Amino acid sequence: MNVVFAVKQYVSKMIEDSGPGMKVLLMDKETTGIVSMVYTQSEILQKEVYLFERIDSQNREIMKHLKAICFLRPTKENVDYLIQELRRPKYSIYFIYFSNVISKSDVKSLAEADEQEVVAEVQEFYGDYIAVNPHLFSLNILGCCQGRNWGPAQLSRTTQGLTALLLSLKKCPMIRYQLSSEAAKRLAECVKQVITKEYELFEFRRTEVPPLLLILDRCDDAITPLLNQWTYQAMVHELLGINNNRIDLSRVPGISKDLREVVLSAENDEFYANNMYLNFAEIGSNIKNLMEDFQKKKPKEQQKLESIADMKAFVENYPQFKKMSGTVSKHVTVVGELSRLVSERNLLEVSEVEQELACQNDHSSALQNVKRLLQNPKVTEFDAARLVMLYALHYERHSSNSLPGLMMDLRNKGVSEKYRKLVSAVVEYGGKRVRGSDLFSPKDAVAITKQFLKGLKGVENVYTQHQPFLHETLDHLIKGKLKENVYPYLGPSTLRDRPQDIIVFIIGGATYEEALTVYNLNRTTPGVRIVLGGTTVHNTKSFLEEVLASGLHSRSRESSQVPSRSASRR
Amino acid sequence: MASLDDPGEVREGFLCPLCLKNLQSFYQLQSHYEEEHSGEDRDVKGQIKSLVQKAKKAKNRLLKREGDDRAESGTQGYESFSYGGVDPYMWEPQELGAVRSHLSDFKKHRAARIDHYVVEVNKLIIRLEKLTAFDRTNTESAKIRAIEKSVVPWVNDQDVPFCPDCGNKFSIRNRRHHCRLCGSIMCKKCMELISLPFANKLTSASKDSLSTHTSPSQSPNSVHGSRRGSISSVSSVSSVLDEKDDDRIRCCTHCKDTLLKREQQIDEKEHTPDIVKLYEKLRLCMEKVDQKAPEYIRMAASLNAGETTYSLEHASDLRVEVQKVYELIDALSKKILTLGLNQDPPPHPNTLRLQRMIRYSATLFVQEKLLGLMSLPTREQFEELKKKRKQEMERKKILERQVVLESQQRFEERRSDLASRAANGEVVSLRGGPAPLRKAEGWLPLSGSPGQSEDSDPLLQQIHNITSFIRQAKAAGRTDEVRTLQENLRQLQDEYDQQQTEKAIELSRRQAEEEDLQREQLQRLCEREWEREREQFRAASLHTRTRSLDFREIRPFQLEPGREPRTHLAYALDLGSSSVQSSVAAETPAPSSALEPARVWSGPPALGQEFFPQSMISQQNELASLNPFDEEDPSSPTAEGTISPPAAECSFGPSVSILKEYNPFEEEEEEAVAGNPFTNPDSPAPNPFDDEDEHPHQRPSSPPVSGNPFEEATCTNPFEMDSDSGPEGEEPIEEELLLQQIDNIKAYIFDAKQCGRLDEVEVLTENLRELKRTLAKQKGGTD
Repeated sequence: MNVVFAVKQYVSKMIEDSGPGMKVLLMDKETTGIVSMVYTQSEILQKEVYLFERIDSQNREIMKHLKAICFLRPTKENVDYLIQELRRPKYSIYFIYFSNVISKSDVKSLAEADEQEVVAEVQEFYGDYIAVNPHLFSLNILGCCQGRNWGPAQLSRTTQGLTALLLSLKKCPMIRYQLSSEAAKRLAECVKQVITKEYELFEFRRTEVPPLLLILDRCDDAITPLLNQWTYQAMVHELLGINNNRIDLSRVPGISKDLREVVLSAENDEFYANNMYLNFAEIGSNIKNLMEDFQKKKPKEQQKLESIADMKAFVENYPQFKKMSGTVSKHVTVVGELSRLVSERNLLEVSEVEQELACQNDHSSALQNVKRLLQNPKVTEFDAARLVMLYALHYERHSSNSLPGLMMDLRNKGVSEKYRKLVSAVVEYGGKRVRGSDLFSPKDAVAITKQFLKGLKGVENVYTQHQPFLHETLDHLIKGKLKENVYPYLGPSTLRDRPQDIIVFIIGGATYEEALTVYNLNRTTPGVRIVLGGTTVHNTKSFLEEVLASGLHSRSRESSQVPSRSASRR
Repeated sequence: MASLDDPGEVREGFLCPLCLKNLQSFYQLQSHYEEEHSGEDRDVKGQIKSLVQKAKKAKNRLLKREGDDRAESGTQGYESFSYGGVDPYMWEPQELGAVRSHLSDFKKHRAARIDHYVVEVNKLIIRLEKLTAFDRTNTESAKIRAIEKSVVPWVNDQDVPFCPDCGNKFSIRNRRHHCRLCGSIMCKKCMELISLPFANKLTSASKDSLSTHTSPSQSPNSVHGSRRGSISSVSSVSSVLDEKDDDRIRCCTHCKDTLLKREQQIDEKEHTPDIVKLYEKLRLCMEKVDQKAPEYIRMAASLNAGETTYSLEHASDLRVEVQKVYELIDALSKKILTLGLNQDPPPHPNTLRLQRMIRYSATLFVQEKLLGLMSLPTREQFEELKKKRKQEMERKKILERQVVLESQQRFEERRSDLASRAANGEVVSLRGGPAPLRKAEGWLPLSGSPGQSEDSDPLLQQIHNITSFIRQAKAAGRTDEVRTLQENLRQLQDEYDQQQTEKAIELSRRQAEEEDLQREQLQRLCEREWEREREQFRAASLHTRTRSLDFREIRPFQLEPGREPRTHLAYALDLGSSSVQSSVAAETPAPSSALEPARVWSGPPALGQEFFPQSMISQQNELASLNPFDEEDPSSPTAEGTISPPAAECSFGPSVSILKEYNPFEEEEEEAVAGNPFTNPDSPAPNPFDDEDEHPHQRPSSPPVSGNPFEEATCTNPFEMDSDSGPEGEEPIEEELLLQQIDNIKAYIFDAKQCGRLDEVEVLTENLRELKRTLAKQKGGTD
């Protein structure tokens, strides 16, 4: 079930199959991202892959002494590029791997282009998704829905990604979806269709309990992507943005040249692997230790390594030292920037109110706090807007809802029109009328008791009290209590036992907070393995873009949305 | 390192259920249990509690270490049993995902197409051959024309009123021309010409491919080479006609294109670029290293341990050989890097990139492998090593006998002691109790370690001095002196033992005090924490609050603080006993056995919440294991063992102090305050790391000695002997060290140059020169 390992295995197999000799890896834009998530350059160099080229790059030289490994998505453009490549081959021999199902006719036209017989292999290797962590994958699609329904291109890409994931993990699942979302139903049907069509591919060894694919919609929980995060990975994404493990630090004041872009990959950065799920305070102390270690090992250059002993220490630590100095400066920079942003944007206070809005039901106190923060000049317009969004989502139907007043405050604060419009758009996107389940008030006795106890005990950590809604959904699913009238099965058969291997996919994007939730569920629940996926992995900014892209702008367009919504709600 | 502390290690035998200490016999276990754990509450509840703790410790260990494990061993498939679930990083690796091959389909379609293409090419070449087979210059043009017409039927003039390529109308001015290869018609502008040499090249290549049976290089599964050859063979037999036009053959653009493509193929087949030749050599060298290096490392390790399985000459030959290969790799990759740099026009940027990458990967390869190449002992050293090994074997035998005797004795002794001691509730002294016994066990090794000049305890120093005196006296044959010295030594020993016992008692008393202190502090801190939590959230930062998350974890700690130090001590003892065992059990100590207790022991404080002691230990261990000198010295586990406990020790401090922490970057002072009572009392040497820093040249095998009770444990390890090469052994090792140093520095210079860090290169060369000077001096001295 490890998605990183699955993709890595595919890539290793390709390289192995091509035998010894100098190799070039020929990729397209998307597969470049896919491969770079699982392999580092030095790792792949050791396997004699010395060049990485884009299939669409015109400036490639003829190098007949190289073998070419082509790893491409089976798109029309790629097939065309490949046909041209084969007509006038630049490399001695071609090993072609498509990341998904390719049509027979495309194979035929490729074969006809291969007049010089340079192709030695044509295969489908289903590494068609971005493997972020062992239990987290993404498709890097931003803005997957128009209104409440799929854009056709996005639907087909998502279907491909999801079926490729199933194939790479060798799972032929039962499918459940969120009834309240039309998009979820469509996707479920498309996936099922592919499984039926390619039934030969999906013939795996039957497990006792069949795996389960659960398809959810972001609309059901618009709260989670609006919150500030305090665990390392999530926080970095929220404040700096992670794109295929890369972080752009070029806007950091006074950044040195080689740190403009850094890579945070749990695969080869031990510190990151150990700390990505810890909260900011813990990271702080761990960074400090890392720095102390580093200083201890760092040769004192002023002393010019006087004694043999000094030198020995230096030389012995040298390779590690080199590696470590990179790690240290990287993490110190990142954490330093995070803490700068936290104090500059007054995020501690903001986050506390956010959490109150998300987790508690005290309207008057929440309103008071939001109002207070809106007066604070240190709070940015972005944060101000998101506080109002959270308020609007939570107290949408509250009897003394004072959203108009808050909107006025926003205007007075000088928050731009774009953000003010987004407040209503977010409510439109994830408000009460579209949600299939209740985000805020607990439904069953257990949950009520839990909340009651929580109230008694006091909150353990004000900043991390929020649990994504996904936690509850998965908890119910694992216990076999997930209601079939809310999350029905696709098709007649249902799961009688409790599920063991679960793949959750969130249309409209997952978040790193949810990834952490799934990580913890994996660790705490015996016999259950859960993989989380999303059309993308969101932070607040990208989530707002997603909302914007869905076109649910303002109340004026609401009327046009009514039919589709009523259809989805049934 | 992965093997050193593999948490999956299964311990079996007579394990104490409470502290997991391994005891050798049932009787020993029984006595151990009665002695060690009689003071603890023996009700079931207590046992369960401690078991739970153990599980927690194990869990903690696994969780915190998942990082290094992954880094070390990539796909280790064990599962963590944390909380019952499995960390996604530890999911067992699955098999390769689904694949589907389209190759057979592809080949089918291609074959159809290729047949068509190849036939076309061959047809052209056969015709070309016919057209060039006769002596064109000496044949009259009418006859040439007849022959040309016989090769391919010409298209009728009347059928083609316009040039099919450019569309111009044919007239008397714009005359029709026929392609001699396919018979089609075009105008003069669109006509191409084939020169005779070009034609010859094409036709002769086809014949070659037949005669040598080499298939074209482009694809391994290609059949068209031979296919084409077989047809061309027909052509070569045919047509022995002669005719004349000029020395060129007219043809259409299409035919010319096809022929040009074919020419390109021929060129590529015959041409192997320099880079390929060099690269093949490079790979060959790398393979050789992969073959030879492990063999050499095995040899060197065995020789350095004083074994006689391999001959020294053979090993040093091999070393030279491997080093030569490295040089060759370096040279070859450098050559690849500079290929074509002086050419005009300069090579394509991609070519340069390729060359750079090859060089880079070769550098990586050399760096990685060369560093693992340990040096060999010199001849004299080797003799010494052999001798030492012999002695050691004998000693081991004696020791084994002793241990058996000892255990029986101890059993008896404790039985009688037990009743009275337990009655007094004198747990404290009991814990200190085993120390003298152990001392007696480890008598021999301890006395034989004059190399430990860093002893901080004057008594110990004295003991060492005397032992070396004894040895000298023995060597000199003065038996009476030996006797007095030995008497002296015994007295000292007794004195020391007594001191140690006292210290142990003192220690446990302090421990009890500390517990109180700790509890108090915790309480205070908690209170403060809650205060802050409620009232001044503006002033307080995130850090304090997030900490509060951990309170629950700490509380169990607080509830049973009495248990903690006890296990702590138990582990300290455990450390000793297990290293003794390992020495008895195997002839080369399994390093894990020595390290393991330390590891386990570092668990409880870490449980508090702090990551950092753990990471520090692992860092430190990594450092130690990287140290090439460890490899020379089989007793290194002792060093590692002693490094770890104090490291874990300090962590008692942080786990308390961390609670106060406002900002992680400001925690020093608090840590110092809170950490003090824990780090200091039992270890006069303040910090083992500092110690390391101050005396990095001190060989890692000699443990940082202190009045620390752990000290005894390490001393009892008979492998200590190994490092005690005596004063005269000191210098050759220094020399060897130097040699290796020089090797290493050379490698770094090479690397630094590679990366263009000139300042580093300078420093390094400076160092190298210095080293060489020292070496020369020393050589002069020993000679």
